[in-house]
Amino acid sequence: MPATAADTLVWRMPPMDMSMPMMPGLEDAVPPALPALPDQQAMGIPVARPSEVVSLADGDTLHLEATLIRRQLGGRPFVMYGYNQQYPGPLISVTRAATVVVVFKNELEEPTTVHWHGLRLDNRFDGVAGLTQAPVAQGESFTYEVFFPDTGIYWYHPHMREDMQQDLGLYGNMLVHSEREGYYSTVNLEEVLVLDDLLIDSHGLIPWGQTSPTHALMGRFGNVMLTNGVTDYSLAAAPGTVARFYLTNVANARTFNITFGGAPIKVVASDVSKFEREVFVESVPVAPAERYVVEVHFEHPGEYAITNAVQAINHFRGEFYPHVDTLGMISVAGAPAAPDYGEDFRVPRTNTDVIADVDSVRGFFDRPPDKELSLTVRVTNLPVPIMMAMEADTLYVPPMEWNDAMPMMNWLSTGSQVTWIMRDAATGKENMDIRWDFALGDIVKVRIFNDPKSFHPMNHPIHVHGQRFLVLEMDGRRNTNLVWKDTAVLPVGSTMDLLIEMSNPGDWMAHCHIAEHLSAGMMLGFTVHRAPPSKGSSGD
Amino acid sequence: MTTFLALAILLSGAAPAGLCEAPPEYYKIDLVPTRRVPAARQATGAAHLTYTESPFGISVSPAGHYRYDVEVVVENLRPAPAGVYVAWLSTPNLKEVVRLGPLTDAIRGRTEWNKFLVIITLESSARANQSRWQGPVVMRGLSRSGLMHTMAGHGPYEQEPCTVYGYY
Ligand SMILES: [Cu+2]
Repeated sequence: MPATAADTLVWRMPPMDMSMPMMPGLEDAVPPALPALPDQQAMGIPVARPSEVVSLADGDTLHLEATLIRRQLGGRPFVMYGYNQQYPGPLISVTRAATVVVVFKNELEEPTTVHWHGLRLDNRFDGVAGLTQAPVAQGESFTYEVFFPDTGIYWYHPHMREDMQQDLGLYGNMLVHSEREGYYSTVNLEEVLVLDDLLIDSHGLIPWGQTSPTHALMGRFGNVMLTNGVTDYSLAAAPGTVARFYLTNVANARTFNITFGGAPIKVVASDVSKFEREVFVESVPVAPAERYVVEVHFEHPGEYAITNAVQAINHFRGEFYPHVDTLGMISVAGAPAAPDYGEDFRVPRTNTDVIADVDSVRGFFDRPPDKELSLTVRVTNLPVPIMMAMEADTLYVPPMEWNDAMPMMNWLSTGSQVTWIMRDAATGKENMDIRWDFALGDIVKVRIFNDPKSFHPMNHPIHVHGQRFLVLEMDGRRNTNLVWKDTAVLPVGSTMDLLIEMSNPGDWMAHCHIAEHLSAGMMLGFTVHRAPPSKGSSGD
Repeated sequence: MTTFLALAILLSGAAPAGLCEAPPEYYKIDLVPTRRVPAARQATGAAHLTYTESPFGISVSPAGHYRYDVEVVVENLRPAPAGVYVAWLSTPNLKEVVRLGPLTDAIRGRTEWNKFLVIITLESSARANQSRWQGPVVMRGLSRSGLMHTMAGHGPYEQEPCTVYGYY
């Protein structure tokens, strides 16, 4: 029987991936927010199509529209959101240093913006509602000038209610090619992989909170995995293929741990640059909003499953358990790949261009931190059984929340009860009360400590807008293979030192990229001022 | 002067470089002496966990286990009249054991077990091929993950019978 609107727009306990009895006293509890969902019965909604590549040259214009779309997932129909009626949104393909114009139109009922994640573009076009622009209301437009200063894989998404808008499908990639020959190794095939999850039960999409996100504690983990927007992603390759994958995690909260059916993986690049040195890895952990570029060698014929393999936690039983999601299948068959790049693959490159680039800031590595932040959480008015269970449970909290280990409690917590906090150690200021000032060209060391002594600590992928940074140290250990990033994940109890290059003037934000944590306050502001004219050197 | 130098060497041996500046307190495993070896009764120690080097900051196995470098540091452990102190890692059920080595300076090892014990024993010799300890346990500690325990029968689940979930 098809679900009706009345069926779907009620709170339903989200499905759980473990056996866990209902917590006494919470049998009938629902989140203290109204449920919200796009009208699943809406008429005349266009059927969405898979993402298309849009190649743009410097100065070109793209028209981008956010609308309702109709999609099929696992054979079931859903009304969701999309950019240009595609899932994911169009793949914008450009050459580094290009600037393109994106005329964005919002055809959704709710206001939205577009943030160009990872791009060091003009501050006016960063897409942060309330900071760099007003929200774009239904029927209105906003014109972005999108500048691509760095080679790599980037993504665009709303910067309002990401927990709902992004989850409903508003995301797309930008693939920035180098103008230089041989920037990456030559490979047989290239593929963009967008990793996501969606929370669905037998009635349909589990509603989102209308005015405040649900799942404010751990973020909304989906139970249906999507690769490039589908549940049955597949790829065909010839034996011997060396493939380059551009991975982006667009999930609200889930960190993936990706393997390719045991095929050898070489990690090449991350958010904003290549690594100093390519290295072989056995899996690729990708936190929300992070990107990794990896090369994989499919030497022999066979079926290779792309999997997310984690040690999940069952808090009720107090146990770890292995959990594997199959995210897609790669069929390797037929005539051997030609040319054979297998030999090149086995030799990891040293990227002297990246090393030279990092050299420009190496002199700052040993300086004391300029800023120190601690990450914590404050809760009010949560149901008593949740408070009891959480407090009893925090003897051990895993460094990373790979699964929603407390689905009921998590679902019931909303942004009105939970405040996630970034606290400035020097001033005691929190979240958007923090407004740091820097000068253009400053190299700033920020030490961030993820305080385990809080009500419910969790890992946080920290994103810095408009700049690039290096993760210099984790827990006092120097990182010996650096890469420029815009997002880095900090496990519970750990400390990381970021070296941020303040290369782009304007009013920016740094925040946790777990969508619900961002909505629950976990963000700060900073301004990069154009350097005052220096005395004597430039007055002529 | 000589005394000072000796002390400095001792201290540098006891305090692993790189861990002192920003110790990941949350993942420090305290080692607690048993009463079985008199020379060890005043001993204190800890196993420090840091992620093994990885391009991703966090370090996990293909199956998702955290990969830790373990560094064992023990102080005030007087030499035993006979035998050698040896450090081990073990799964909580003692089914799997890894020998870290004799306790001379700082002891380093690696693990990717979800829950584990750090054990110091007094062995008759420093034989490297020993697969399990034979001597008395001198000190032991439990990974923080080992504190995670079933909620059945506790807190809000007080009425939930443990036995249903395999606990007795
Ligand atoms: Cu967070």
